Amino acid sequence: MAAGDAAIAAPAAAQAKPPGALARLLAHPSFRWGLLLFGAVALCGLAADWLAPHDPLRNNFRTRFVAPNETFWFGTDRFGRDILSRTLHGIRVSLRIGLGVALLTALLGGAVGAVAGFVRRADGPLMRFMDALMAFPAVLLAIALAAALGPSEFNVVLALSIAYVPRTARVMRAGVLVVREFPFVEGARAIGASPARVLLRHVLPNAMAPLVVQQTYVFALAVLAEAVLSFLGVGPPPPTPTLGGIISEGRDYIQEAPWISLAPGVVIALVVLGLNLMGDGLRDALDPRLRTAVR
Amino acid sequence: MLKYAAGRLLTALPVLLIVSALSFGIVWIVPGDVAAEMAGPTATAEELARLRERLGLTRPWHEQLVGWYGALLRGDLGESILLRQGVAEAIIERLPVTLALTFLALAIAFVIGTTLGVIAAVRAGKGADRVAMGTALIGFSLPDFWLGLVFVYVFAVLLGWLPTGGYVEFTTDPLGWARSMLLPAGTLALSQMGLFARMTRAAMLEVLRQDYVRTARAKGMPGWIVVGKHALRNALIPVVTVAGIACGVLLGGAVVIESVFSLPGVGRLIVGAIQRRDYPVIQGGLLLTATIFVLVNLLVDLLYAALDPRIRHGRR
Repeated sequence: MAAGDAAIAAPAAAQAKPPGALARLLAHPSFRWGLLLFGAVALCGLAADWLAPHDPLRNNFRTRFVAPNETFWFGTDRFGRDILSRTLHGIRVSLRIGLGVALLTALLGGAVGAVAGFVRRADGPLMRFMDALMAFPAVLLAIALAAALGPSEFNVVLALSIAYVPRTARVMRAGVLVVREFPFVEGARAIGASPARVLLRHVLPNAMAPLVVQQTYVFALAVLAEAVLSFLGVGPPPPTPTLGGIISEGRDYIQEAPWISLAPGVVIALVVLGLNLMGDGLRDALDPRLRTAVR
Repeated sequence: MLKYAAGRLLTALPVLLIVSALSFGIVWIVPGDVAAEMAGPTATAEELARLRERLGLTRPWHEQLVGWYGALLRGDLGESILLRQGVAEAIIERLPVTLALTFLALAIAFVIGTTLGVIAAVRAGKGADRVAMGTALIGFSLPDFWLGLVFVYVFAVLLGWLPTGGYVEFTTDPLGWARSMLLPAGTLALSQMGLFARMTRAAMLEVLRQDYVRTARAKGMPGWIVVGKHALRNALIPVVTVAGIACGVLLGGAVVIESVFSLPGVGRLIVGAIQRRDYPVIQGGLLLTATIFVLVNLLVDLLYAALDPRIRHGRR
């Protein structure tokens, strides 16, 4: 997943900015720390099959509620399952969903934002609709949608994407509104380029930078929200181990076995912190004008 | 100002109309038969038919929507399937807890967040700046429901200072109420605290560069008055708009936090309804939270326009 995320950032940086953007990015301390944190956790998740010392799904009633020791580094749960192994596999699910949401909202929100920013007549209706979607607290909307759609990993991605799409659409629209006034866009129109060509070839590539930054934050928000969904029981269905699900299982035994909830929470925090740091670094490197703004 | 207010109100209306249609429409995306899902596997055909009739599912979708709007105008949100109670009544009963939790969290986030932001801006680039901004960043990277559990473990299980959860009415025991709200509100505040800190820092840096700040310093005014009075007052204007957005995030967060701390608010009502597929309560809960968000942001925009005349003359 680390490679996937870097791949989103790199081509956009190469296209939208003169050479040096990538170097500037890697020299940025926030981005480097973020990449390190996120990359380390992501690698653990990707290599879960090899790294996990035990089967994350196998019950063993002789090892129920074992406190952390040499065999079970993070302890075991009420079914005697190894928390470390479950957490490693949970990372993979979280990242898959986070990346899915980041890509799907980029696609949907990018399209809505581009059309709203470029086609004056569509702007009002589209953005009022986005305003209405944004009026619902994102986490609450995602919970309700995920419950209504039914338990599946894809439905979780879909529910989260609908909840987070307005933010992406707004960022895209704002970018398009700025770029479409540039002289080179007028030039393209003047030589007879069709509106679709002007939008796709001239406006969009130059309005991509804020979108890349925004999607890094959406990735982080989606990882947090997926944990909430799983915590409340509307995440990916069992037996898939999810970070929020493990925390939820530990909640009932917080007095006797507090270790159950500990590791997955720390892992979520590390992933989200890494992504937020990367987002800050991207923001500074790709678009210096945004430096003082908050997402 | 009146013209700006009227125009702003006009854009809020269609949003509210779409919001209520979307809240209602949640039943349409349920795959298969909503009534069958709600009634459970033991329901008879007759019970199902009655439930369908009650939910209005036998009518075409546009009639359902018209019926919903009509009922809304009468203040009728339908009946909860499980609580045997009107949805509006059930929500109003639990609203004070949620509002208290949200506004307490907003207050904590605002006070601590702006303080961190001011310290960071005044000491920009120095150690204090890094610590303040690092705290802010960690604040919105932690999963709040998990942090709530950690707090419960540390302050209730290990130290025994505060209750593990549950709610005490303010009217019966104000101190007990404060003790039952402190952890939930503090946990909920954390993510938005970071946002306020970043926003305040950015706005302060902008303001501290202004000529009038330099003038104030040059005429020998003490530094803390320049920062606290001249600069902060102006820097807080954009921060106010963030409070509107934060309100929505906090309302969403309250849904989860109420479940973690067993507070009898709207959030726990909605989560319970979602887990048991009580769609009228889900529809009403969605509508209510979104409406609060739209109204709070309307209020914030009007406040913003009142504070900064440039806004109402269209130079945004």
